[in-house]
Amino acid sequence: MPQHIKRLIGVFAIFIVLFLVMRQVLKPSSFGKLGHFRADAIYENTLKPMHYTVADSCTKCHQTVRAEKDKGFHKNLKCEVCHGPGLKHSLYAGQFKGKELPDSLKLYKPGERKDCSVCHQKNAARIKIQFDTINTTMVHQIDVAEHNPPDLKANEPANCIDCHNPHQP
Amino acid sequence: MEDHLQNLYEVLSKVEGYVYPNEIELNWSILIVLYPYITGLVAGAFILASLERIFKIKVLKPTYGIALLTAFSFMLVATMPLVSHLGKPLRAYEIMITPHSSSAMAIFGFVYLWYLMVVLFLEIWFDYRRDMVIWGNESTGVKRFLYKLLSLWTTDISPKAVALDDRIGYIVTVIGIPSAFLLHGYVGFIFGSIKANPWWSTVLMPVIFLFSAMVSGIALVMLIYIVLTKVRKQLIDMECLDTIAKYLLYILLIDFALEGLDQIHRIYVAEESFEALHKLVFGKLFYTLFIYQMLIGTVIPLLTLGTLQFYKPKAQIRKLIYTILPLLVLAGIFFMRWNVVIGGQLFSKSFYGYTTFKTGLIGTEGYLMAAAWLIIPFLILSFLLWLLPPWKKIETSHE
Ligand code: HEC
Ligand code: HEC
Ligand code: HEC
Ligand code: HEC
Repeated sequence: MPQHIKRLIGVFAIFIVLFLVMRQVLKPSSFGKLGHFRADAIYENTLKPMHYTVADSCTKCHQTVRAEKDKGFHKNLKCEVCHGPGLKHSLYAGQFKGKELPDSLKLYKPGERKDCSVCHQKNAARIKIQFDTINTTMVHQIDVAEHNPPDLKANEPANCIDCHNPHQP
Repeated sequence: MEDHLQNLYEVLSKVEGYVYPNEIELNWSILIVLYPYITGLVAGAFILASLERIFKIKVLKPTYGIALLTAFSFMLVATMPLVSHLGKPLRAYEIMITPHSSSAMAIFGFVYLWYLMVVLFLEIWFDYRRDMVIWGNESTGVKRFLYKLLSLWTTDISPKAVALDDRIGYIVTVIGIPSAFLLHGYVGFIFGSIKANPWWSTVLMPVIFLFSAMVSGIALVMLIYIVLTKVRKQLIDMECLDTIAKYLLYILLIDFALEGLDQIHRIYVAEESFEALHKLVFGKLFYTLFIYQMLIGTVIPLLTLGTLQFYKPKAQIRKLIYTILPLLVLAGIFFMRWNVVIGGQLFSKSFYGYTTFKTGLIGTEGYLMAAAWLIIPFLILSFLLWLLPPWKKIETSHE
């Protein structure tokens, strides 16, 4: 075999060996243990900080709100859907009973027109239910621009929560 | 939370009708348009080179080396748009070390590697080895080192060794043609096999991609050849250009026919997706499909090239035509990729709504990034042309 072919084969051999070695080195050690993926990924994901708490944990301190909400149309909404992630709040807010909460523990209070519109604005994509006499969308749809818009001249109510109680709409 | 809501509002303003939540944002951006485009240029340029070598079309000789080096430079960059599109580019190598046999994209890594190393690299290496040995002895400094390194410090340039190189180079080219088909057919396959998307899911997709690849590659080499001769102040080989133009015409015709067939089939079958696609094509894709891809990129070049087969104006005018046409064709094929990749994501798979594609100038998915990946191959090509000028090679006859 001529010299240059030998060298070429040598180079390719080095390349392939290098690839195999790199493969061994780079392949994550837990790869393939549970399937075609890195088993450690599951464990690593459990280490991520949590932001949300379990659905019922708010009730412990806010029974009145909960009782109020359970009677209204929003009974099936979880508190955190509107107020945002509340793990830190439910862990530490207890000490501030009757006092002003520090900013880091404050939760969002979605009272503006755009907040309620997230769910109630007319949207063709919202599911319609149709059976027997019921013919409605899952969530009541209103045209936010049309539904009792704020009148800037007169001092009329502007926000949804001026007329609707968010916990018992 | 506030920001998040603001964002949601902005996003929702982009959609019309009923769109599933995961369809609002286009996940495959302009970089994914570039990926089939650049791979196509590679496959096309290589096939032009093999026309000379395998099918012995001698008039194409002046473009052989240019075509090979063009294919190589674009091949080096072909995966970069994909890699830079990844959220974690540094993990890109994982597709190679833990490939899953059921993943079309994972196997593409190996198809790519095969084509780059076994086909393009070997063909160029065997083609240039003797010249690199000679140039290595003649030059000094870094250049000398580069030649020595590239030729692996071999010295054997006896007629026997050179004949062997030629023989192996020939075999590599023979393997290379199906490989080039595989490479780009594969890119088409990746799109064509997405059965949930009626705009992509057609068995014709690999074939269409292949022929459009040839069209774009041939056009690119034609353009580079014209520019190069101009820069080097050489006389252009009109016969060669006429021949390339002829092949461009043929392949463009096939490409046009295939794409027409695809659309006619779609219109005739009129599946439930048809109305949504119809609205898409006449709405959001009107300019890119009818004007840029069809009119500018296909019909005008077809008519011009067709006319040139019967009526030959002066060489000067033909040269001008041959400079402008490839640009039109290249733009047309770019928009073909655009229409496939972006078009396929603009309509909802519910067939009741549409979204909008927006991208910025800057950012990892912006136009500048895309432009960079289109310019870098030309820089690599300039370097390769400086290092391995095809016109300085000792004439071999490729028998
Ligand atoms: C450990 C008891 C505790 C738990 C659990 C708890 N909170 Fe609170 N929350 C408080 C206290 C204390 C305040 C301070 C004001 C007050 O006394 O009413 C407060 C205030 C609030 C406020 C008003 C903040 C403001 O800026 O006015 C909201 C909204 C709220 N909580 C929602 C929630 C939600 C939602 C949950 C469940 C994720 C929750 N809370 C769980 C104790 C708790
Ligand atoms: C539909 C969205 C929504 C849901 C669901 C909701 N809230 Fe509220 N909540 C609001 C809004 C809006 C305000 C602000 C009311 C205001 O400013 O007058 C508020 C205010 C509060 C306050 C402040 C005290 C007050 O009455 O003004 C507390 C505490 C609170 N919510 C607790 C809860 C808890 C606990 C739950 C779950 C049981 C819950 N919320 C579910 C929208 C919601
Ligand atoms: C997370 C989604 C969500 C948000 C945010 C939300 N709602 Fe609701 N709302 C619902 C659901 C679910 C129902 C119960 C189904 C129904 O009756 O439409 C409902 C019911 C209602 C109803 C009763 C409709 C009826 O049937 O007559 C009113 C009024 C209402 N919401 C007002 C509000 C107001 C005001 C806000 C802003 C503070 C708000 N909602 C925010 C989901 C939401
Ligand atoms: C001026 C007071 C007022 C304001 C402000 C107001 N609403 Fe209402 N809303 C009403 C009244 C009264 C009704 C019941 C009569 C009706 O259906 O119009 C109602 C009904 C609704 C319903 C049930 C509609 C149905 O089809 O049954 C929803 C949902 C609703 N409101 C949401 C909102 C949201 C979201 C906002 C803020 C964008 C808002 N409202 C602001 C007074 C108000």
